[in-house]
Amino acid sequence: MSGHDPTPYRAKRMKPARWFREFGWRHLVMAAVVAFALFPVIVVISASFNPRGGIQSQKLIPSSLTLDNYRALTGDKNVPFYHWMRNTVVISGVAALANTFLSALAAYAFSRMRFRGRRGGLLAILLVQMFPITLLMVAIFLMMQNIGGIFPAVGLGTQMGLILVYMGGALGVNTWLMKGFFDTVPRSLDESALIDGATHWQTFWRIILPLAAPVLAVVAMLGFITAVNEYVLASVLLRDVNDFPLSVGLFRFIDNDFGAEWGPFAAGALLSAVPVVVLFQFLQRFIVSGLTAGAAKE
Amino acid sequence: MTQDEVMVRRRRPPRTGTIRAGALVRKLVLIALVNGFAMFAMQRELALGETGALVATLAATLAINGVYLSRRVVPLKYLVPGTIFMLLFIVYPVAYTVYISFTNYGTGNLLTKDQAIERLVANSLSTDADGARFAITPLDDGDGTMSLFMIAEDGSLLLGDESGLSPLAGSDITRDGNRVVSVDGRRALNLGQASQRQDELLDLVVPADFGEIRVQTLKQATVAAFGLSYDAASDEIVDISTGTRYRPREGRYTSDTGEVLTPGFRAVVGPDNYNRVWSNSAIRDPFIRVFAWNFAFALLSVALSMALGLGIALTLHRSGLKGVKFYRSLLIIPYAVPSFLSALVWQGMLNRNFGIINRMFHLDINWLLDPWWARFSVVLVNIWLGFPYMFLVCTGALQSIPSDLMEAAQIDGASASQRFRKVTWPLLLITLAPLLIASFAFNFNNFNTVFLLTGGGPPVPGSQTPAGATDILITYTFRLAFEGGRGQDFGFAAAISVMIFFVVATISAISFRRTKAFENLA
Repeated sequence: MSGHDPTPYRAKRMKPARWFREFGWRHLVMAAVVAFALFPVIVVISASFNPRGGIQSQKLIPSSLTLDNYRALTGDKNVPFYHWMRNTVVISGVAALANTFLSALAAYAFSRMRFRGRRGGLLAILLVQMFPITLLMVAIFLMMQNIGGIFPAVGLGTQMGLILVYMGGALGVNTWLMKGFFDTVPRSLDESALIDGATHWQTFWRIILPLAAPVLAVVAMLGFITAVNEYVLASVLLRDVNDFPLSVGLFRFIDNDFGAEWGPFAAGALLSAVPVVVLFQFLQRFIVSGLTAGAAKE
Repeated sequence: MTQDEVMVRRRRPPRTGTIRAGALVRKLVLIALVNGFAMFAMQRELALGETGALVATLAATLAINGVYLSRRVVPLKYLVPGTIFMLLFIVYPVAYTVYISFTNYGTGNLLTKDQAIERLVANSLSTDADGARFAITPLDDGDGTMSLFMIAEDGSLLLGDESGLSPLAGSDITRDGNRVVSVDGRRALNLGQASQRQDELLDLVVPADFGEIRVQTLKQATVAAFGLSYDAASDEIVDISTGTRYRPREGRYTSDTGEVLTPGFRAVVGPDNYNRVWSNSAIRDPFIRVFAWNFAFALLSVALSMALGLGIALTLHRSGLKGVKFYRSLLIIPYAVPSFLSALVWQGMLNRNFGIINRMFHLDINWLLDPWWARFSVVLVNIWLGFPYMFLVCTGALQSIPSDLMEAAQIDGASASQRFRKVTWPLLLITLAPLLIASFAFNFNNFNTVFLLTGGGPPVPGSQTPAGATDILITYTFRLAFEGGRGQDFGFAAAISVMIFFVVATISAISFRRTKAFENLA
């Protein structure tokens, strides 16, 4: 395809020298690249199964395999690892679902209705998107402090407050993405539903949303991963160690004590990363095609 | 306007007439819930005097009712929920950030002016060693409250309660021998009864024009006098003993000789926070260093991860090559692992004393605490995080280049490097430019990589603000606002946020122009 090989056919048995010139060096390069890419991953896996001991004693290939680090992590009363994991799932999950829903609502309006301010609204979403919530940490912190003075249940130090803050970013690139997908759903479908007496809500809920399920799933999963990675606002808004998500919890855990807690930290990192990596493998197909579609634009 | 749009237009408003009763009830219940919640919220806001929040809640509630009870404005029914959150948590905070950047909000100036005055006056209350003392007998008012029968040092008789002091005549007091039985109709408590209600007694404050009278023991009360008083008419705080007057100046009550009272209060101080960046060299020099490093960091990250990603894509872009899928699924792993974990893992691996990298390669490099090695490490880790994405993107872009172009170039006698420079690269750049700009904007504010790897450190010596060698603007902002040490400086942090706004806005403006996003608004 690339045109590197002008010969009309490839000999079945290539001479080794020619094979190396055409293919072999590529595998050598890739071996180096893969080593670079996977080195930290291998280090973490190995560290987590190493016998208990500090970071100094880690060997890349453990002398013996043990689960001591996992026991140390989950048995430590001061390290509520399961709480952190549950918090991450709850906070990121609720925020991702809510954001997907809010975004789908707006995308439906932008895709199916013509109204004054539609163009302006779409542009406004792009403009507002320029200010990620991370940039607003000072204002949001002070604002949540004030809100906490009035409604302690959603103020500073509450997971509910953090989720609400994450919902501020509901309208954004995702709205555009979903609008683009809704645009590809034939209009004739909702028109026949309207003629049959369906309301606009029923059209949205019963026809558009089910058809868009794959896109909704992708958007929700991407939103979930984004929220899992969020550190700044979680660290600024949450106070109690039992309320932390993994990002804040593991950072505070390891930042104090790299030397001693390396093994348990590696165990925690592995336990936290595996579900996300698995999720990512599901998404890979969509992400790759989505990226390619984006790259191939124009 | 297309045929489709005309049809939709004609059909508006849709036939809500056929709405089922169940759906209507559900909708009304939802609106009632929202309204009930809003009423509760407004009640609290009213009680606490939070006018701004009250107005916002009222406006949102009215908007929700107007939109959902009307049969018109159908688009708004779908736009209002997301918009409310966007207004509350993005648009308002943007405006609030700009406002804070013009104030002195921060350690020493955390309180509102009213709170600060109250605190200053309350803190000036002190019991004078030779202040007036009173012999007291606690009294039960009969309605649950308490008061004091007091005999001053000059022998005058007084009744003191929460509302103040009043003089008593000898005839008001009923005695049984030496013991006081009742005063002005209030029952006197003996010591046993008084000690049972000790907590109530200690809370009792009798205001007087010379200070406050508080119970010291069950038999004695003393005067605590205010050192300062607030003069509302002139908005000055007066030192009662010396007569010094303190006037509010830039968030602090300041005397003519320059003495200040602490705590201060938050006040609008104009462009001071912005001026500080330029006028004070102990702030300016580190700031410029952070600013320059921020650009270098983002540029290097994008350029190098792009170079690596493109190199890999070209390496794998060969028909007949085996294992491409296998390589791809391995390379996607760094991209899939949550980046906060990767940054922390790298922090451990790069640790000078214990880190596996120094031990495995028998090095003694101070990866994270030497300024230049720390910068190197931050970029290295960011490349590790970013190159799989670049690889995926480049692969897609390479595949979209028509192969006949390459063949034509080859027939015309172009060498491999000429083909790349003259055909592949220009075509790639067209497709990748928007993504590269977006990636630059993302890395410009890549908090996680920097903060979780080096925390912005190592510190730059001689800096008045907590600026480190690897700090980028966003981590610098975070440290100014939230890292203890030198106190919280919200005003200055907000000013830097505003500067980041401008940088990001510029980048976005360029990217808008390039991607021609405006044209996709069909």
